[in-house]
Amino acid sequence: MIELDKRTQEMLEEVRSLGRTHIRPMGLEADRTAMPPPVDHEFYLICTRQGGLVSRMIGADESPNALDWKPVRNFLVGEECAYWDRGVALSLPGPGLGGPALRNTGTPEQRQRFLSIFEDHSKARWGAMAMTEPEAGSDVARIKTRARKVEGKHGGDEWVLNGQKMFCSNSARADWVVVWATIDPELGRGGHRAFVVERGTPGFEIIKIEHKMGSRGYETASFVLEDCRLPAENLLGGEAFYEARKGFKASMATFNMTRPLHTAHGVGMGRAAHDYAVDFVRNEYPAQGRRRQRALERLARIRRGLHTARLLYLNAVWLAKTGQSNVLEASFAKMYSPPVILDAVATALDILGEAGVRNDLLLEKLYRDVKILDIGEGTQQVQRHVVARQMLNMPGS
Amino acid sequence: MRDFALAPELEELRAAADRLARSELEPNVRESEAAGRWPASVLAVLDGFPLGGLDLPADVGGVDAGCFAKVVVLETIAHADASGLAAADRPGASAGAVAACPDRALAATVAASCLDGSAGSAFTVIDPDVGSKGLDWGPGWPSLRWIWAMEGDTLRLHEVTGTPQPVISLAFQASGGVRVPWSETELRGSWALSARDALAVRGRARLWGAAIAVGIAQAALEETIEYTSERVVFGKPVAHHQANAFDLAHTAARVHAARLVVRDAAGSFDRGEPDAGFWATQAWLETREAAFNATNVGIQLLGGHGFIVDHLAEKRFREARHLAMAVGGLDAAEFDAAACVLDVPDELLASLEQS
Repeated sequence: MIELDKRTQEMLEEVRSLGRTHIRPMGLEADRTAMPPPVDHEFYLICTRQGGLVSRMIGADESPNALDWKPVRNFLVGEECAYWDRGVALSLPGPGLGGPALRNTGTPEQRQRFLSIFEDHSKARWGAMAMTEPEAGSDVARIKTRARKVEGKHGGDEWVLNGQKMFCSNSARADWVVVWATIDPELGRGGHRAFVVERGTPGFEIIKIEHKMGSRGYETASFVLEDCRLPAENLLGGEAFYEARKGFKASMATFNMTRPLHTAHGVGMGRAAHDYAVDFVRNEYPAQGRRRQRALERLARIRRGLHTARLLYLNAVWLAKTGQSNVLEASFAKMYSPPVILDAVATALDILGEAGVRNDLLLEKLYRDVKILDIGEGTQQVQRHVVARQMLNMPGS
Repeated sequence: MRDFALAPELEELRAAADRLARSELEPNVRESEAAGRWPASVLAVLDGFPLGGLDLPADVGGVDAGCFAKVVVLETIAHADASGLAAADRPGASAGAVAACPDRALAATVAASCLDGSAGSAFTVIDPDVGSKGLDWGPGWPSLRWIWAMEGDTLRLHEVTGTPQPVISLAFQASGGVRVPWSETELRGSWALSARDALAVRGRARLWGAAIAVGIAQAALEETIEYTSERVVFGKPVAHHQANAFDLAHTAARVHAARLVVRDAAGSFDRGEPDAGFWATQAWLETREAAFNATNVGIQLLGGHGFIVDHLAEKRFREARHLAMAVGGLDAAEFDAAACVLDVPDELLASLEQS
């Protein structure tokens, strides 16, 4: 049994309590209305004012821009949040996927400037990260959003961004978005640069909020960048960082942490399905008989998959926390888990039988919610590419 | 937070086992199979580890180094050659039965004869609804003397009084397989265990097989990668064709996952956790699939070469399946996991559930 330290236990209990009172009901409401909770939802203010989930998720209880973050704790909290509703969990105020990008790539000044805003507990704030484009999904090396360095109107350098981004979580409500662009598509990965685009910057415009099959608790938006001018200080990591040819590797390093987090979310969702099915078996099934035996064997299979997936993400996070490469292990976790989690939810539906299709019984929603796990942060096929390239010395590795 | 690193002393032990296995076992795999046993020089070194006593409690003469250390060593040796492990590791799969046997004096007698190399032991699970006429397969050397049998939650110890009959088996030829009808044995004891203790005994036996299966699967994966990276078809290495690359990536993830769950379950036993038998059974179920997949892909991607004995792919394919039939096989494991799944709390969040 994994021992939880006192602080982690307190946080998980806090999430559990909020999950019952807010996160699960908000998720069900968002699913019913096909709209994420509004930015002024009281829950976001509760989270922000108490300096609870939001600040702690970025380690702000120690220091707002600390590199000494608590990834294992955060992943466990992420799992528990997703247990109650992953969509709402992803909609929580905070830096989102922009957080790892800033921590991995940002200068100390940039970390201070963009992460310290989350110290302000009077207002809910969001950050975001944008990589995917209409013609660059899994193959992020193909992004076409252009970044040109120009002379600023008041002296000094500026950057001008042009392009379109899509499937960007929380970008319509974010204070800033980390945007990946290229200075020259011919340079491939070597041309990648990351910029922090702040809300209100002229040329930055949200054009669409997507309607989704599931995971409706958070908004997924598309935006355009039209002659969007940024000061040189908004180039994440500064020029020197890219001269050392770390650009693409930096974006990939971000994924090496977000991929295991995806798995943690999946374990939480799988647990929700498991627990629902357990209650159903306890309350609806006779104490003996063929159906009960079949159900118990299915529950055991669900437990096995969830346990294995949890060990995979904990192992990947542990490697990162101890300063070891986790490229393979992060992809192992991301590759293994989504099919197992989908199977867990589908198997739980099987246990319910025909009642499983009912929208008022949670599992129907979970089945729609969970499929995104095999798509976001690199599909299962992308993970196999990553692993194969690493293991097999394939061209492009 | 769980530490996934090996302690320095265990890493030393693992490295020593690896050196021995690679230098003495790996080059002689086929010779050992033909001879029906591992070379005496290897056995002398293994006894010095001591392999058999590594996870046995001190009160029966064991080293009491724990299940985690044992599974790491088993994985390592099996990576080179698993074929003789069922015989060389004594009491091996029966270690959990020895540890749980209420008659400590008898358990000590069994352990002593296994550790001094004078007696072999075997473990089997009998379905109470089906019954059994005897042990279908056990290691043949040293002469099989002790058979631990678990029927329901009753643990029995049989002492072999007749002559075990050699059998040609699917795999593990270097362990010299034998079978023994119960009529050729004398019952030395029978103990009704609690359901949880009985599952722990079966779980320890499954964990033994699962650790070996991880070593076999890892070896299969590595050989497949090596072969398919060198052999060129349709203008590029076999491994670089997407269908094959994806299979290899998937296999690597499964083997990695299997190793994690096996080591995690071993740690559960070492920490004295009440549901260790459940997690070991789950680890066995996970591992049998991972090992089957790895060894099946191993043959498939070698093509015809995988089917002939010039390569070890076919041997590992047989070994993975052989292990998957042990300790009552799939049905017994699934029955066990299902029987207590509602009573086993979440391994991570149990304390929250109680609060």
